[in-house]
Amino acid sequence: MSRLPVITGLGFITSIGHDRPTVLRSLRELRHGFEPVEFLGNPNLPVKVAGTVKGFAFPTPNWRDWSWPAQFSVDRELIRGLAPHGVYALCALQQALADAGLEAAALTDGTTGLFCASAGSPFLLGHFLNQMHATRGERGNPMGIVSSIAGTLNFNLAAHYKISGAVCGFVSACASSSHALGYAMDEIRLGRQQRMLVVGAEDMTDESIMPFASLRALSNNPDPATASRPFDRRRDGFVGTGGAVALVVEDAALAKQRGAHLYAELIGWGQAGDGHSVAASHPEGAGLREAMRRTLADARVNATDIGYVNAHATSTPAGDRSEALALHAVFTANGAKPRVSSTKALTGHGLSLAGAMEAAFCALAVEEGFIPGAAHLEELDPVCIGLDLPCTSLDEAPGLVLNNSSGFGGSNVCHIMRRPA
Amino acid sequence: MTPSVPVPSHNKAAALTEQQERLRHLPKEAGEAFHRFQAAGDPVALNVVIFAILADFIPRKPARPLAESPGSTRLVDDLGFDSLAITEVVFFTEDLFGISIANEEIIQVRTLDDLRGFIQRKVNARAAR
Repeated sequence: MSRLPVITGLGFITSIGHDRPTVLRSLRELRHGFEPVEFLGNPNLPVKVAGTVKGFAFPTPNWRDWSWPAQFSVDRELIRGLAPHGVYALCALQQALADAGLEAAALTDGTTGLFCASAGSPFLLGHFLNQMHATRGERGNPMGIVSSIAGTLNFNLAAHYKISGAVCGFVSACASSSHALGYAMDEIRLGRQQRMLVVGAEDMTDESIMPFASLRALSNNPDPATASRPFDRRRDGFVGTGGAVALVVEDAALAKQRGAHLYAELIGWGQAGDGHSVAASHPEGAGLREAMRRTLADARVNATDIGYVNAHATSTPAGDRSEALALHAVFTANGAKPRVSSTKALTGHGLSLAGAMEAAFCALAVEEGFIPGAAHLEELDPVCIGLDLPCTSLDEAPGLVLNNSSGFGGSNVCHIMRRPA
Repeated sequence: MTPSVPVPSHNKAAALTEQQERLRHLPKEAGEAFHRFQAAGDPVALNVVIFAILADFIPRKPARPLAESPGSTRLVDDLGFDSLAITEVVFFTEDLFGISIANEEIIQVRTLDDLRGFIQRKVNARAAR
């Protein structure tokens, strides 16, 4: 008997909202989450906009100085091992579990696993290493490692929720949480787990975003209303963001048995490498093209069956162009014309968070029967001619939805989901 | 445009001295008690500081104020301290009082009375030097 993974719970801590109704309104009305910011206290830096995570503050590396919105609770025992994005992740997972109607006690019997993705916390790691050098190794925070290295999410959340199923972290940069979701689908399909918690998160700090300025990957546009404009001819880089998104994925039969609400069925996923460059995407999107084809094959559907593509497009000149060419190869060349948009126009690029965040947006689109528009798109890049990029959100059921993610080293991951039968 | 807001990690605490930074998260009365202890060696003041440190590092909020707990209260079994929290207390205490605590010494400390007596002896030894 084949097992079908379904999404039964969602939790959001994002630049466009910290709860489902707010996120939904932002996607429907194309309200962005950007604010002017001053990175590193330096007004001379050209990067001036970020997708801020409102209501949370991490002014120093000391957790005693941190704050979060009153509706969330963070245990003292837990917070000493968390990075800022661990706080986001905990808040998102609390929401997702409540949304799925699950108590923490239901997660401990070995049938529930946890896959997470983040880059770790460069903010805390830098602080701890500086402290180590300053004291010549004589002092250190005992929680320094578990709070700051990649894996901090799975270390903390698995221990806190007493998860005894599969626990793992995924590190493929901006494809990380899409890998986490794809392999979570496999855990269900292979019958290894009945339920998977998938969490993607990133800090929103100088240290997590400004290193991308060295790659010339960030937008220098100071206007929050236009700095992130995927597929627009004038795009000049991505806008950074942080936050966390959590998804509860379950075996459909068991989810139905317990009366769970089903957002969407996850019917296929796939991945392919570019085999090209450590940082740049393949100029023709070769890996993404193949990842989309493999995903269609895994889901046993055709390109013409796809109604909406949530593009990875981050608003960089080269990356968006590669993806447009890959979309043409998979869809236009086969007579298919799905709606396409990149919700990073609203949120900014959440790096390891991006894949899970956009999968959750797709689940909302499937459930609510709408298609998020291509925000801030005014002058279409000629390479996109022939793609259907709606400038406003559409009140139409998207049918099958494809979610694209691409990361450093040319890792490309896609998922397909649909409305539950 | 809304006014520019600083990105969260900008460290406003950097201007504080190391000692001020250490005391910043303790209650005001604990900071004052620390200075009183440093100036006059007042053992009552030292007690106030030690309870404030324990309250700051205890993993779970205690059912009743630590200062009201009997001296025989055990750090691990009764108060829920784990080895990580005890390490944090040791590092903080070493830095604040300028003392040095070996791992084998701290293993002997099991109760609130043990801890108070131990730190008092260490601080007295420091003063004697």
